[in-house]
Amino acid sequence: MKVDIQGGQAFSYLDVTLDPGETIITESDAMSSMDATLDLTASFNGGLIKGLLRKYLGGETLFISRFSNNGQKPADLKLVQPTPGEIKCVEVDQQGIYLQPGAFLACTNKVKLGLAWAGFTSWIAKEGLFKLHVTGDGKLWYGAYGALIEKEIDGEYIVDTSHLVAYQPGIKLKLQLAGGIFSSMFGGEGLVTRVVGKGKITIQSRSLDGLSSWLNPKF
Amino acid sequence: MFNIIVTGNLLNQQTAEQVIPALAKLFKLSTEKAAGVLEKAPMAVKKKVPMEVAEKYQAALQSIGLETAIEAVVNTESPVTETESASSEPSEPEAESASTPSSKQPFSEPKDINQSTPEHFQGLEFKLDGQPDYGFATVQIPAGETLKVEASAMATMDTNILMKTKAKGGIGRMFTGESLFINEFTAENGQGEIGIAPGAPGDIKHVYLDNQTIYLQNSAFVASTMGVATETKWQGLTKGFFSGESLFLIRCSGQGDLWFNTYGAIIEIDVEQNYVVDTGNIVAFTDGLDYNITKVGGYKSLFFSGEGFVCRFSGKGKVWIQTRSVPAFTSWAHWYRPSKN
Repeated sequence: MKVDIQGGQAFSYLDVTLDPGETIITESDAMSSMDATLDLTASFNGGLIKGLLRKYLGGETLFISRFSNNGQKPADLKLVQPTPGEIKCVEVDQQGIYLQPGAFLACTNKVKLGLAWAGFTSWIAKEGLFKLHVTGDGKLWYGAYGALIEKEIDGEYIVDTSHLVAYQPGIKLKLQLAGGIFSSMFGGEGLVTRVVGKGKITIQSRSLDGLSSWLNPKF
Repeated sequence: MFNIIVTGNLLNQQTAEQVIPALAKLFKLSTEKAAGVLEKAPMAVKKKVPMEVAEKYQAALQSIGLETAIEAVVNTESPVTETESASSEPSEPEAESASTPSSKQPFSEPKDINQSTPEHFQGLEFKLDGQPDYGFATVQIPAGETLKVEASAMATMDTNILMKTKAKGGIGRMFTGESLFINEFTAENGQGEIGIAPGAPGDIKHVYLDNQTIYLQNSAFVASTMGVATETKWQGLTKGFFSGESLFLIRCSGQGDLWFNTYGAIIEIDVEQNYVVDTGNIVAFTDGLDYNITKVGGYKSLFFSGEGFVCRFSGKGKVWIQTRSVPAFTSWAHWYRPSKN
């Protein structure tokens, strides 16, 4: 399998080439174009119950798509994400990685998509009660609105809510006010997430909140 | 963003005679040019590419026996006062290589490595990511110092940074489309870092003001050090043109760092005499420029060409323009919005 991330930071997409016998798993509706020889099977995202949970609590779709190359020749596939923004690739191991709802785009065959309880903290921070826990052995592609910036955390760091996209299991989230009561109410920052621990986090350089508060007054 | 540098050292006991033709073949260069690259090494062969691309180039170069290094691009922003000579120089070899027939030309920007190393820079240490689509500034605040940041633009920060909300800047901020409040981030007991993300999709630009003045379009302000005074300036009715809606500008003066953002990418233009910019595309301009609002052609053009009013700058200075304009976006997007009733 050969996968290139193309389209720049603003409109990233995946250019996939599947060799005969290979399969890629994607978010449903992620395919934008493909060779006619590829076979598509839609399946529940880990079974009906888990799939429903993931849809309603994890912000993901009920179905996932499997694109398999059962032909004799390599075949091409283009995958896109719904939001304008960047896509990144990460190697997944048994420890796994946590993804915020909606960030998942595609993964290789041996990667498992699980759901993990994110806690009320995360829910208050508008990140959802559940998060996607991706484990296994293979590659994962995820994306968000804005550019994606990786940062190594060792200790404590503060991230504005709705900017956190992915983080490693060594990291715990806590919620706090950005400043004092006055600052947090009027400073436009409100609540922030305190990430604690050791590992890598990925943040998006734009947020939908930021976009809407910039754009709405202009109409 | 990363630069790929050919160090000039050869790997695997290769000789220059073996490497040069391989290099020429790899990048579709003439043998003389490939030899020139080795001669001038260390030299950056590809600039400002993402890490994945940089690694690909490195692997390719190493496979033919050339030692390479990947260098993170450090910001080489120059203060406003500086002439453009530094950045116009490297464009010469670019022009020279453009004459080669190959369309895929990885060596299109052969620049001396020394030109890519950061010059001594006044002001705070900072890094820009995600350019030009979604610019993101990471600024190191020295212990005890304070940074003014536009409300709700903070995306990440160290835990030792303290945030305070101030209603400074006056009522005028209400008219410039900015929040009435501004946040001050102070690094308590030791240096701290802050990540700043504006709301609009687009780039971030940095300038260092050395007792100079810059005028910003409303809502372009992102952050500044405390030495920069920001005030709202009434333009007068005839000049009230910014974004076609505001009668106010933000006047930034003093000494220190200033970051402003754009919608779209940013283009910096040195104005020598006269220059015309569509009113919706102006982001900022320096103090030395005079400006007035005119129509491009006659009244027929004014109403039917879609250009409307333009801003005519005169004098000597710099103008920053954005490659998209908000009114154009809103009038395009408007028809797709759900109707209120």
